[in-house]
Amino acid sequence: MLATIVPLIGRRLAISIFILLIVSMLLFLVLHVLPVDPAAMSMPPTATLAEIEAKRVEMGLDKPLPQQYLIWLSQVVHGDFGTSIHFRRGVLGLVRDTLPATIELAVLAMIIASVLGIIGGLVLFHVRGTHKEPVMDFGSILLLSIPEFLWSLFFILIFGVALQALPFTGRLDPDMRMPTGTGFLLFDALASGRLDIFWSALEHMILPCFALGIAFSPTIMRVLRSSLIDVYQEDYIHLARLRGLSERRILVRHALKNAILPTLSLMGVQFGFLFGGTLLVEVIFSYPGLGNLMVDAVRNADLPIIQAVGLAYCLVVLIINTVVDSLYLVLNPKLRLR
Amino acid sequence: MDMLIAKDLAVSAALGGRTVPVIQELNFSLPQGKILGLVGESGAGKSMIGRTIAQLLPSGFSVSGGELMFDGQDLVRMPVETRRELLGRDIAFVPQEPLSGLNPVLTIGQQIDEHLARLNVGSRRERRERALAMLNAVHLPHGAELLGKYPHQLSGGMCQRVLIAMAFASKPKLLVADEPTTALDVTIQARIVQLIAEMQQNEGTSVIFITHDLRLAAQICDQIMVLYAGRPVEYGPARDIFARPSHPYTRCLQLANPSMSGARRGLYALPERMPGLSALSGINGCLFAPRCPNVAEACTQRKPSLVETSADHVAACIRTETTAQIAAPALAEVGAPDAGTPLLKVEGLTKTFRSDTGFFRHSLFTAVQGVSFTLHQNEFIGIVGESGSGKSTVARMLCGLERPSTGSLVIDGVDVTDGSKAAQAHQRAHVQMVFQDPQSALNPRRKVASIVTQAMEAVGEGTWAERVARAETLLSEIGLPPDAATRFPTQLSGGQKQRVNIARALCVAPNILVADEIVSGLDVSVQAQLLNLLLRLRRERHFSMLLISHDLSVVRYLCDRVLVMYRGEVVESGPTAEVFAAPQHPYTRTLLAAVPPDDPSAVWTPQPTEGEKAARTAMEANA
Amino acid sequence: MMQFLPPWMRSGRVITGLVIVAIIAICALFAPQIAPQDPNEQDLVATLLPPVWVSGGDAAHILGTDSLGRDILSRLIYGARVAMLVAFFASLGAMLLGSVLAYIAGYFGGRIDSIISRAVDVWMSFPPVVLSLILMVGLGVGLRNVILAIIVVDWTRFCRVLRSEVMVVARRDYVAAARLVGFSHWRTITREIVPATLPLLITLVSLEMGIAVIVEAILSFVGMSVSAQTPAWGQMIADTRQFIYDNPWNLLFPILAVFFAVFGFNMLGDGLRRTLDVRVTATQRV
Repeated sequence: MLATIVPLIGRRLAISIFILLIVSMLLFLVLHVLPVDPAAMSMPPTATLAEIEAKRVEMGLDKPLPQQYLIWLSQVVHGDFGTSIHFRRGVLGLVRDTLPATIELAVLAMIIASVLGIIGGLVLFHVRGTHKEPVMDFGSILLLSIPEFLWSLFFILIFGVALQALPFTGRLDPDMRMPTGTGFLLFDALASGRLDIFWSALEHMILPCFALGIAFSPTIMRVLRSSLIDVYQEDYIHLARLRGLSERRILVRHALKNAILPTLSLMGVQFGFLFGGTLLVEVIFSYPGLGNLMVDAVRNADLPIIQAVGLAYCLVVLIINTVVDSLYLVLNPKLRLR
Repeated sequence: MDMLIAKDLAVSAALGGRTVPVIQELNFSLPQGKILGLVGESGAGKSMIGRTIAQLLPSGFSVSGGELMFDGQDLVRMPVETRRELLGRDIAFVPQEPLSGLNPVLTIGQQIDEHLARLNVGSRRERRERALAMLNAVHLPHGAELLGKYPHQLSGGMCQRVLIAMAFASKPKLLVADEPTTALDVTIQARIVQLIAEMQQNEGTSVIFITHDLRLAAQICDQIMVLYAGRPVEYGPARDIFARPSHPYTRCLQLANPSMSGARRGLYALPERMPGLSALSGINGCLFAPRCPNVAEACTQRKPSLVETSADHVAACIRTETTAQIAAPALAEVGAPDAGTPLLKVEGLTKTFRSDTGFFRHSLFTAVQGVSFTLHQNEFIGIVGESGSGKSTVARMLCGLERPSTGSLVIDGVDVTDGSKAAQAHQRAHVQMVFQDPQSALNPRRKVASIVTQAMEAVGEGTWAERVARAETLLSEIGLPPDAATRFPTQLSGGQKQRVNIARALCVAPNILVADEIVSGLDVSVQAQLLNLLLRLRRERHFSMLLISHDLSVVRYLCDRVLVMYRGEVVESGPTAEVFAAPQHPYTRTLLAAVPPDDPSAVWTPQPTEGEKAARTAMEANA
Repeated sequence: MMQFLPPWMRSGRVITGLVIVAIIAICALFAPQIAPQDPNEQDLVATLLPPVWVSGGDAAHILGTDSLGRDILSRLIYGARVAMLVAFFASLGAMLLGSVLAYIAGYFGGRIDSIISRAVDVWMSFPPVVLSLILMVGLGVGLRNVILAIIVVDWTRFCRVLRSEVMVVARRDYVAAARLVGFSHWRTITREIVPATLPLLITLVSLEMGIAVIVEAILSFVGMSVSAQTPAWGQMIADTRQFIYDNPWNLLFPILAVFFAVFGFNMLGDGLRRTLDVRVTATQRV
């Protein structure tokens, strides 16, 4: 099996790298038609026009756009994403500090979305044709209409402000210090044996993760439900009944294994969206991740950061897609073997 | 001892607030080790009987009376769990669509193993041994390799063999085979039927064999029950029914089927079609009376009961003595093909498809290789061959839907191979196509008049009223009432749709009609109507046709000449009568031998297919 | 009387959706007539008032006031304008761009299809929120730019789903038959393929309207949408959020407004999907 999958995944990776290249080009293009002058912005307000012009030349801004792009690209390949105009720090360091927080948030939210989505899908499928169906179905549209940032605000109002049950700012209690390490807080806390930090971090993640997870679960529910309904029309399900298999066994071994495939390919898309959804959730929960960095950069027109963070988002989405596609290949023999 | 006995079994369905009978007065007894054939056209209720045995009826359907005794127990009234225990153990099923009957994400081995585990066959290793033995018994070579494969890697015939192996794994007392060969190629059909018969004999299983093919049923069944609109109309020993049908419907079915031997005869085409569920209650007396050629006053008064016409042979007709008088009409006189320059000249036609397999890689697949033939005015040519033989690709190239890779295509003296605008226009004016699947060939959003006169729309010709008038003329020519013009395709039956399909092709008055499997999937009586229609049109319009069909009897009935295609090449061609009487190429012989003979008492010896021969050699090499 | 209406008009979901959308549309159209006060009029002595049913509420401000003393109800009603304009024009524009490309890709296939599909892949690797934010940086704030950004981001939603549907329809024999009787490509697409995919297109548009409302709210929440003088729901959420402890009520109203609008469009879309019998396997979200 491995021998057939590896080339397919390799092909998928090659496509991803190609896409990333185009993405970087687009990013560069969009941000360089901007009406702001990065050279002027990176200088103190007292700088003279001549000094700014010298800076422009130094930054390569007088060269034609394609050449500027190639220079930028070769720097990026060498790990040099430039210096933030606003923070006056290396961009790579800024991204490295914030990316793990966002990934941690997103992965947990994906797990929540998958679990809720699969359970919900099974429930929706189970009640089909009964009097409960319209109610449940209505409920799923209701859920579908609440985006993650509304959930975030609801949760803050209910669990943060009204019940005061959970914290809703930052990653840790203010009196705690971040342990050094990978930047994945839950992992670092466990690695350094600080259970108190672990719990605090987990507490801080519950609201944002559930806000994201719940927001992205209804689509998964509905697709799983409709794929299950489709699969149950298939001859092999009927024939499995004719062979005397129990309904439970038919569901688990025959129906779910097939119905999960369309659900999975949808999840790939959904998780890409979910990763984008972290942006606003982070802003609302003052969670120090990529999203907050991005919004700060946008407000300050901090080009090097916007470029780098934009690339970071795309890179993660492409990784998510590659992982989901590979999983799809593993689970779907029709694609794997010809 | 009787394995399965139906006593006054009745099934009904809730339909729009009413309860309508689906199956009524079903009585039969299937002795152990015998085969009962349930024969009828679609809608006759034969598949419903299969589902009733498993008690897996569609929602809204239920058994409304009678009993169904299996081995002394009533299947209808037993608890669900008891019945589930019987299914797959004592009662096994072989489905119609083998490819969709296996779960696509599980290997063959996993699926057999699951079944054997349920049958409590010992350890994993024992089950594997057993699985290999099972595959061997259904003549599938390379068992060990096969167990690791997925259904989509197998052909339909192989899937059906796997399913048959699984069905017989438990040495069932009863096997229900629901049209087990309909979805397969002719040559494989015959082998699968043989396999079922062989396994049945080895295990002494009783079999319910559901089919629409009376000739096939007569060949392999011990008893036959003919069903019409959910009621048995004739029941008795298979050979007896085939030799002396007592019910007019059975007789008409027999005469609607084109013969494979002897002189060609006309086809008896029953008018209209079987009443649907909702129309049944509107018919008093015999349900077949509205279509019966022998109908008399008394037939519409009350429902006929089954009367014995000879030993163990019953028929639900009050005038069985007149049945034998029903005769096939004379063969329509269509005249010989015109001599002189051919209308269509095809030379060295080749089509290679390319599929991208990677960034810069692609693979080539030659679907059609060097096909040459000529077609004269007023000539019908049949192309036969199994799926994948390239016959549909030839059809698409003739119409201009595909461009040939090499070779030339000359229509009425004009070379249209290059596919230029002028060539396309010439091709369109001379060649039109009748598509296989009427469901997909008719735009459901257009009215019939709009579909039929689409060619006028293409050139912006005529007002809507003119188009409707033109459509009505065309519809009357193909035998549909004028009011069909304002209906939508969804309001038509399958046969009517296919007529509309033909009418559209006739709108531009082409010289050549290309018809791709236009009667496959239709009931025998509807097929007979369409075949007769084509002959009538040939006589009236004097056109030529290229008929693509997997059904040899249809080709024999319609065509002057026949081309046999195998793997993209024409392996044999000639006048139909000659090729059918003395086939030269081994493939043609296999093809002809696969059709059950007209006479059920004749010996039927389907030959192994090429694939089987290769497999057998491999098996012997291994041993 | 009901039976004379087409089935989609008889669906409870469609009617519910239409009623909700109509209410918001009326608010948007007649905001000056309906709104009790000028949405930008500041009353610095009456800031952060709670709604009228909470103690301390003022009957002049039924839903209370924000930190600058502006009337929340009036701002909500005026905010419907931005939401509706964006919903309407952005979804229409995304539909036009996405569906034209989808018809071309799905019908002609081959090289043009792989180019368009690759473009969709590139777009899909951007999370929509991130891409629209970057575009807004490039374009600058303003209603027209918000609409443009959403079109540029969301055309892929149409293209992806519609393309596969077009491919299915284009393989039907009646399309080949139309070509055979002499239909040009243009006529084949407009007469045979577009009508068959129209139900899907309509459903997608109504779902996209909901998405556009969300995206606009997100952008105005981070201050990258319309200018600060124009009332928008996202802006109100950002504003009132800072006073969440003093005045949680005031945060709830703009949240409910966004939810109400999105719910209306989703109900409409789901009702249409059912009654027009289309399969939207990917009712995707932001």
